[in-house]
Amino acid sequence: MMAMTPRSFLVTCFVTLGLVALAAVGAGLWLIGSRLPEGISTEVRDIVLVYGGGIAFLLVAVIAVMWAYLDNAIAQPLAALVKGIQTVVLARSDYRIEIEEMHQLDGLPAAVNELIRQLGIARTGIHEAIEKATASLEQQKTQLETVLLDLHEGVVVATLDHRILLYNNRAVQLLRIGGDIGLDRSLFHFFSPHPIVHALSRLTTRFTQGRLDSPLGGPTVSFVGTTTDGRHTLQGRMSLILEGEQTASGYVLSFEDKTAELAALGLRDRLLRESTEGLRAPMGNLRAAAEILVGDSDLGAAEQESFKKVLLQESQFLCGRLEKLSAQYRDVITGHWPMSDIYSGNLLQNLADRLREQHGIEATIIGLPHWLHGDSYSLIELLARLIVLLRERFALTVFDLETVPTERWVNLDVIWQGSVLPAAELDLWLVEPQEGVLGGLSLREIVERHKTDVWSLPDRSGRARLRLPLPLPVQRVSGQVRSSMPPRPEFYDFELLRRPVELGDRATRTLKSLTYVVFDTETTGLNPSGGDEIVSIAGVRIVNGRILTGESFERIVNPRRHIPVESVRFHGITDEMVKDKPPIAVVLPQFHAFVADAVLVAHNAAFDLRFLQLHEAASGVNFDMPVLDTMLLSCFLHDYTSRHNLDEVAKRFGVPVQGRHTAFGDALVTAGCFLRMLDVLEAQAVLTLEQALAVSAKVMQLKTRQANF
Amino acid sequence: MAKSILVVEDEPNIVLSLQFLMKKAGFDVRVARDGDEALAAVQSQAPDLILLDVMIPKRDGYDVCQTIRANPDWGGIYIIMLTAKGREVDREKGIALGANDYVTKPFSTRDLTDKVKQILENSTH
Repeated sequence: MMAMTPRSFLVTCFVTLGLVALAAVGAGLWLIGSRLPEGISTEVRDIVLVYGGGIAFLLVAVIAVMWAYLDNAIAQPLAALVKGIQTVVLARSDYRIEIEEMHQLDGLPAAVNELIRQLGIARTGIHEAIEKATASLEQQKTQLETVLLDLHEGVVVATLDHRILLYNNRAVQLLRIGGDIGLDRSLFHFFSPHPIVHALSRLTTRFTQGRLDSPLGGPTVSFVGTTTDGRHTLQGRMSLILEGEQTASGYVLSFEDKTAELAALGLRDRLLRESTEGLRAPMGNLRAAAEILVGDSDLGAAEQESFKKVLLQESQFLCGRLEKLSAQYRDVITGHWPMSDIYSGNLLQNLADRLREQHGIEATIIGLPHWLHGDSYSLIELLARLIVLLRERFALTVFDLETVPTERWVNLDVIWQGSVLPAAELDLWLVEPQEGVLGGLSLREIVERHKTDVWSLPDRSGRARLRLPLPLPVQRVSGQVRSSMPPRPEFYDFELLRRPVELGDRATRTLKSLTYVVFDTETTGLNPSGGDEIVSIAGVRIVNGRILTGESFERIVNPRRHIPVESVRFHGITDEMVKDKPPIAVVLPQFHAFVADAVLVAHNAAFDLRFLQLHEAASGVNFDMPVLDTMLLSCFLHDYTSRHNLDEVAKRFGVPVQGRHTAFGDALVTAGCFLRMLDVLEAQAVLTLEQALAVSAKVMQLKTRQANF
Repeated sequence: MAKSILVVEDEPNIVLSLQFLMKKAGFDVRVARDGDEALAAVQSQAPDLILLDVMIPKRDGYDVCQTIRANPDWGGIYIIMLTAKGREVDREKGIALGANDYVTKPFSTRDLTDKVKQILENSTH
């Protein structure tokens, strides 16, 4: 049977009621008509008919009005309620049901609305709880991914039938796979199977015998295996992934590449064997000949001569052999200590922070940072302790820290105002065992582990240095240019550099005594007046002939325009990276404050200055300080060549190029070149700022003239 | 007057050879067996050249070298360090602390004698 809505039910009822009423009236009329005596006048009949019809009409009208009232007051509101509830249920909305005021449903709509409200609250609660749980899951997942990514070890998770479920980047590197490992592939595409199968069977046996937690077993086994091509030895550990108490669902492998280490150990073993066994025979010959020469008095002259020859030959052979062995030994770079390539900028910053916070020592990092090879933790311990001892010895709290590269190593120098530290004193400091974090190691042991030594020597400027040569980085860190973008055009528009500048007493001061800010910008393109803008600006301060790396300025700038791909390839700064960064109008006053009253220095300064100048009005600052251009100075010093771009100049002055094409990297390289130029300028009798500006002006004149031809 | 050489070395076997070779080459030879003795010998009469072993008792060779260089009166003394430390960094340290030359053991006695002769014949005093 079809279900009826309340409204149609009501309609049916009232229509039936109306029909019954009409039928009753009709039947009444018919009865009356049939009982009327014959011969009654048609008037009476008409009266009866009219009254009857009137009654019927009234009845139907009353029924219709009753239906209309009931429909409006009950059936329609009920239908609205039903629709409303359906809406709330299906659309999960916060819909409040609106019902006409005149309904007769008493408290029902209010009660339903209250129910909906409560439902809404409950729904929001559930929703929030779900969101929270999802977020925390997401966070845990991210944390796990980060941990996996940061792990030095390769990690692979696999099922019991060796299908790969999860792996980290390191695993891809260690397994030498160009591309993805591919989930659900067999691990044995990459690993030689036997060691894995063996390790897994050991673990599953422990698991079934309940020995995973016992000292007789343990949750992990170690294994040594190889990549499938057999070229790399991998060493690591395997542990089971358990689901509940009863079943194991897979395993985790963590592994490292031991190929290089094993090779180094092998070489060391071989050297050790050769230097013991290999030397026995020549030593024996030497001893025999010497004993005969000394013990036998009746040797003939010829025999004596031949024994002497043995002495000479064998001892020369031994010397040569020793040289060879020790040269090979020097190349063995095994170490049980974790050594890695470190950036001296970070190392020295850590050291300086620690000295300031724990010992109240002001250590200033000067010069350019360099890469070196070592253990940063023990190096900081070593240097911090030495500097604290130096403070007590010389009653000083101010030091400079500098890294100076040579061909064979990188010198890490601590510099102070005072006399040289005698070697004997330094030796005493080195041999004393150190308390605390180093576990009783002496400083000498740290020095030896870096295969080096430490000494004190006088500085050119009458100061003293403590020098610690450290190994060069293993992986040559290249400061290679990222793309083959053409170098910036030299700017022959030198008007900016010709602006009259008040030099004051700086005019006659020596170049080395002045304070400089060496700066560089990266831009969206090469055309400042054609709408190109600055995307980053960086500067570094030079005080008293020292580059103060710690005092630097580095900002990414929102150029408020699209950064073309060609320039992104060049400097690596994308639209995405600048979107939250301040515009140039904000950065320029900051940079102006950083420069203060220093002399500005830049390579091809006219280019960078043009960009600054275009924003002077908008940012309310003027760059009216004196400006030196290392490109012009290079033209002056090396007028035999026409190659004066920064790379060439750096090469000519022996300044190591690192981090080229970042504003900061280029500013550092420029600063390095500028400092070396100061020495050469001095030799050419360019001693003061006035003189340096004068020679620059001459070069400008020449260049302008050339450009006009 | 013959040029004078101070041999600072504590191993008697090599002292024997060095003393023999230098005397035979016509130099005036004195021997010191540790760092203190070496400085005392320089104090009493500055030699023209010192053959200085690095690993000697009391003050080591680096210390002796640095102490001699700290005194401007002894600036003319030519110092050759003799050592079993063969690393580049050891040579660098020796030169940094004031040695003029650095020879690692085992060395050829003939080469060393030639070197000493050449230096002392070229020196002006």
